[in-house]
Amino acid sequence: MTRLSFRPRPLDIHKKLPIVKSIKDFEDDDTPTSTRNSLLLRIAPEVDNEVHPVPSRRLASEIPTPQFVVVDTYERDYSCTFSQPNSYLRARGARAEIGEFVEYDLDNEDEDWLFEFNEERKLMTPETFESLIFKLEVLDHKARERAGLITPTLGSPIPVLLRLDAAIEALQAQPIKYAIVQSAYDYWKEKRERRQKPILRRLQPPPPANDTNPFNVFRPREKAHRLHTRRMQRRENNVQSFEKLRQVRRNLDQAKSLLQALIKREEKKREVVDSEVTLQRMQMKYKHETEFLEDSLALPGFTEEEFLDSDDIMTDHPQTWSSAVQNLPSYDTNLLTTPTVFTKQESKRRYVPHGWPRKLDPLEPVMLFTKPLLPEKLAMAGILPPSDSSTVNGVSAQSYEFRGRIGRGGRIIFDRRNPLLQTSIDCAANLLLFKVPVVIPVFHEESFYLLHPETAITNTIIGRNEFLKPWLRYSDWRGSRDNSSTADAEMAEETWMME
Amino acid sequence: MGSLEAPPSAENGSAHPAGMGKSPSTDGGGGGATLHPADTTPDPDSSKRRRSSVLPLEVGTRVLCRWRDGKYHPVKVIERRKVHANGDYEYYVHYTEFNRRLDEWVKLEQLDLDSVEAVVDEKVEEKGATGLKMTRHQKRKIDETHVEGHEELDAASLREHEEFTKVKNIATIELGRYEIETWYFSPFPPEYNDCLKLYFCEFCLNFMKRKEQLQRHMRKCDLKHPPGDEIYRSGTLSMFEVDGKKNKVYGQNLCYLAKLFLDHKTLYYDVDLFLFYILCECDDRGCHMVGYFSKEKHSEESYNLACILTLPPYQRKGYGKFLIAFSYELSKKEGKVGTPERPLSDLGLLSYRGYWTRVLLDILKKHKGNISIKELSDMTAIKAEDILTTLQSLELIQYRKGQHVICADPKVLDRHLKAAGRGGLEVDVSKLIWTPYKEQS
Repeated sequence: MTRLSFRPRPLDIHKKLPIVKSIKDFEDDDTPTSTRNSLLLRIAPEVDNEVHPVPSRRLASEIPTPQFVVVDTYERDYSCTFSQPNSYLRARGARAEIGEFVEYDLDNEDEDWLFEFNEERKLMTPETFESLIFKLEVLDHKARERAGLITPTLGSPIPVLLRLDAAIEALQAQPIKYAIVQSAYDYWKEKRERRQKPILRRLQPPPPANDTNPFNVFRPREKAHRLHTRRMQRRENNVQSFEKLRQVRRNLDQAKSLLQALIKREEKKREVVDSEVTLQRMQMKYKHETEFLEDSLALPGFTEEEFLDSDDIMTDHPQTWSSAVQNLPSYDTNLLTTPTVFTKQESKRRYVPHGWPRKLDPLEPVMLFTKPLLPEKLAMAGILPPSDSSTVNGVSAQSYEFRGRIGRGGRIIFDRRNPLLQTSIDCAANLLLFKVPVVIPVFHEESFYLLHPETAITNTIIGRNEFLKPWLRYSDWRGSRDNSSTADAEMAEETWMME
Repeated sequence: MGSLEAPPSAENGSAHPAGMGKSPSTDGGGGGATLHPADTTPDPDSSKRRRSSVLPLEVGTRVLCRWRDGKYHPVKVIERRKVHANGDYEYYVHYTEFNRRLDEWVKLEQLDLDSVEAVVDEKVEEKGATGLKMTRHQKRKIDETHVEGHEELDAASLREHEEFTKVKNIATIELGRYEIETWYFSPFPPEYNDCLKLYFCEFCLNFMKRKEQLQRHMRKCDLKHPPGDEIYRSGTLSMFEVDGKKNKVYGQNLCYLAKLFLDHKTLYYDVDLFLFYILCECDDRGCHMVGYFSKEKHSEESYNLACILTLPPYQRKGYGKFLIAFSYELSKKEGKVGTPERPLSDLGLLSYRGYWTRVLLDILKKHKGNISIKELSDMTAIKAEDILTTLQSLELIQYRKGQHVICADPKVLDRHLKAAGRGGLEVDVSKLIWTPYKEQS
């Protein structure tokens, strides 16, 4: 046989193989026929560990088998009483469950004993004897069941539990003489104790699984289904895994109630914030209304241009302003409605004098019985805020600022303010939510931005999402800040944001 | 030396093939001993004088033995036992040409003492072999004497298997209409160690030692068919499905019985996990079992058949192929691919090869275009490996121009189909009323 010059590829069972209908297709092929065989021999050992079929087919006609003969008593022994119903036969319950069938058949020993027993006169028929032994076996089994002595496998000898008096009592209904039952019982007990296990095969426990004696058959299989992976084994259906799952459930329940409490708490917190904001807005609204009124009446010193300018703002966006105001109380449901308005206003505001528009800032702390003073106006009136004489260097000069207001009785008061705390030093009540510096990270175009403080403040109220538009590059902001007036600086200092 | 005695005894023996002639010396040796098939008319006078030099034969002796065909065949003595107080032995022999199923007890008269091999070299080894260690020579010996049916067992477990089962315990059984010689050892309960013949009730398969016991049993036995659901009926042929858990004793009885005819069947595990499919021929006396196959309820290795047996009186009538086809029909209903549990016996392998060949070649004859092994497997529920093995052993898969092709020349296919034999009885799928086990309950 020639050696294969190539190694055949293993056959892929999913690959479609062409079916060649004629052997002639092979004849003109230059591949020598003998490779076929050697190829097969190579493949065969991998997949086929059975005997090659050719020798067995050769044997087929010759495999001799032992013989059989027809039993001549067959026709007598088996009666012709079976008629097949039209429908398919269905199984009945097991024999043990249906009444009176005597499962026991006498063996040689029983027959010999019965023969001797019956020698003088016929006392007991084989059928009665069979039935007696069967009943004794069943009664004994029940007695063991009651005593809880049923073993799953055949380990040690199984004792006889049925006592004679119990047997006789149970067999009272049978028309059998006491003496006969007693003899049968004695015989049965002797035989039963000799065997050390139930005589009836149905009642014998199987041999233990680790018994290797080949004569002991029909062991219980250790485990019907070996689970392959450890993960599956952990999920085995037993008490342990049941307890484990219960524990998991308890934990999850606890986590659930914790989370629910947390949600409740957060909702309450939000309500508090909401009502605070609403309160503040109402206060501001009140303040602005009175301020407008006062400004137009009590401060006629403004130039016409300024007035027009400011009026311009108002007339340019009347509806937006009012809509913004209207929206304020319900901002939490309408967070996204108003940002562009403020943006436009913002960009415009950079070119107008700072005094007026600042009055529009809804975030200016509200002091119910006082009115803030504008430094510009005070300057016009010749009043200057006190310079900070307590500090030495210029840097710290900025650390204290003063805010003027008109106190009760028309006095002008300057509150010293701490720029870090953003509060009037003597006015802790003015510490309001949005005066606290808020740092919100903003990612945009991978560059570093700072929000214009005022915009940031405005938008903090409106909603975080609205940071994207109204900002300035940090450098722009820095530039504007450097050149800005004190008021501008004060605004910048209010709240600033960095990435 | 014993040349003169052999021919006359051969003539005597061939005149009584059924073993009806009883040797007085074997009477009373046990309830069933009288019908031993190997019994022949004794020839005490002429034989006794010449034997003394080699007798009794040692275990392991190779000698020629007259078989039922009247001819002499080489045998090996497996075991011997004293027949009676007179010191005569009978011998349990293995015919080296045949399967172990033909091993039997023979009388000295059947042996040709002239042919006794001069050197009984195996005597020592036989004793040594009971241990676990085996020499290479012993392995070879096993290999040469047991070619068929044992390929898948390694030598050690084979040795153990044979040591335990080397001698049949039950020689014959009576089952319904037939008295059947058994083929192999079967581990009946110890109470049955003392008998050579068993009487089976053909319906509930209870077994008894005496005919009268069977007759008494038949008067009360309430079964006329296997204690399960009929799932198929076609003509007089019916198939019953018996759940091993619901009918434990029946299942165990069936296993004891089947083991008498299956060499490598194991009765190690309980019958709970198996379903038994009993094929019956029905008449006005009841449903008579002709064969069966068992199947695991949940097989992890995709076995669709564990054990298969056609009882000897019904063999070579196509029942075996019917059972195989039936097992694949069940697999198709389950939507699974199946394969028989290994090892297959010589007869089992033959039937399976025949079935696979017929089914696959019928498809290939009709099929147009390309086809993959997987598709064949899906169509037939035959496992892909079995398909590959079958086609390769028929040399139908060839490697051409860098790819595998299936050679399906009609003439070649027909030749193989003819060799595969008749299809046996057809399974009419429309008559199969069955739901897979998992779906019940």
